[in-house]
Amino acid sequence: MSALLPGAAIQPAGASGVAALQAALAAEHAAIYGYGVAGARLAGARQAQALRDWDAHQSARDTLVSMLAARGTKPVMSATAYQLPFQVRGASTAVALLALLEDGVTRAYLGVVAVTDPAVRSFGARSANAAALRAATWRGRTTAFPGLALR
Amino acid sequence: MCPRGRPGRAGRSVGRQGEPVTGRVWEPGLSRRGVLAAAALVTLPVLTSGCGKGFGALGPPPRPLPEVGVLTRAISREHLMIARYQAVVSGFPALAGELGPLLAEHRAHLTALHSRLLPGAKPAPVPSSGPPIPAGPADRAAAIAGLRAAEDRAARALLDSLAVASPSLAQLLASIAASEATHAAALTRPGVTG
Repeated sequence: MSALLPGAAIQPAGASGVAALQAALAAEHAAIYGYGVAGARLAGARQAQALRDWDAHQSARDTLVSMLAARGTKPVMSATAYQLPFQVRGASTAVALLALLEDGVTRAYLGVVAVTDPAVRSFGARSANAAALRAATWRGRTTAFPGLALR
Repeated sequence: MCPRGRPGRAGRSVGRQGEPVTGRVWEPGLSRRGVLAAAALVTLPVLTSGCGKGFGALGPPPRPLPEVGVLTRAISREHLMIARYQAVVSGFPALAGELGPLLAEHRAHLTALHSRLLPGAKPAPVPSSGPPIPAGPADRAAAIAGLRAAEDRAARALLDSLAVASPSLAQLLASIAASEATHAAALTRPGVTG
């Protein structure tokens, strides 16, 4: 069983960024799993929002799979099960899980930003932006450094 | 003519009444602080006189890396953003509660950017000769709309500057850009827009 929230370290990156893209894909797999768990505990507008975000993560996963395939690399697979950081028993823990998941996705895309290829870097920044926006929506407040361990 | 460092003269310090106190600096058993102070007194005139083979002998100063320009522009924009928030809060004190956390995050951005420029440096106060501090609009909705547009512009400017940044600076700039995008979104909340 894999941890749902991978370690805090931002991946080292090179020019091609295969390792960083794989880390982003792993984070997207975890997010898709987590949205499935949390979405089941939400209702109404929040469930509709979770479904939209879930779709966005699936699109992002497909994009990353294509990028890795174009680099001749086998994309990482989703784990069969993930260890949740805490039990999701209701709407409040579901929302807290979604905020944490989006933090993890933001962090992974900042790893892609470290790639020197300008197009890959720009893709990483736009994706980190989208994840940070979702994190702030679920959390109900903004943070100064989304995805970074700064205060 | 360049002054020469002469220990006998330069080693003097000045007593409380303004009288020279001599004969202490070069005595045996001298404290390390005394030696350092003397060295500073010897060195300072040479550095400040600008004559002889001073800095000119070193050739032209190295060109700053492109990323220094990216950083200094980002710092200027944060100063301006802080000034914008302060102008709105002073015009509409009722917004202080809503805008306070966003303003605090901009101050954190500024500190982080400054630390990349000069390790350990504290952010300088907003320079009076710097970019003009915008006057607070008379209308609250217009003031919020102005902040929102400024956040959008700031985030876009950071994203546009990523290509010339080192990997670690690019990560910081992208994170700050993401934070500013979340600010722009937060400024559309009903509690803020009134």
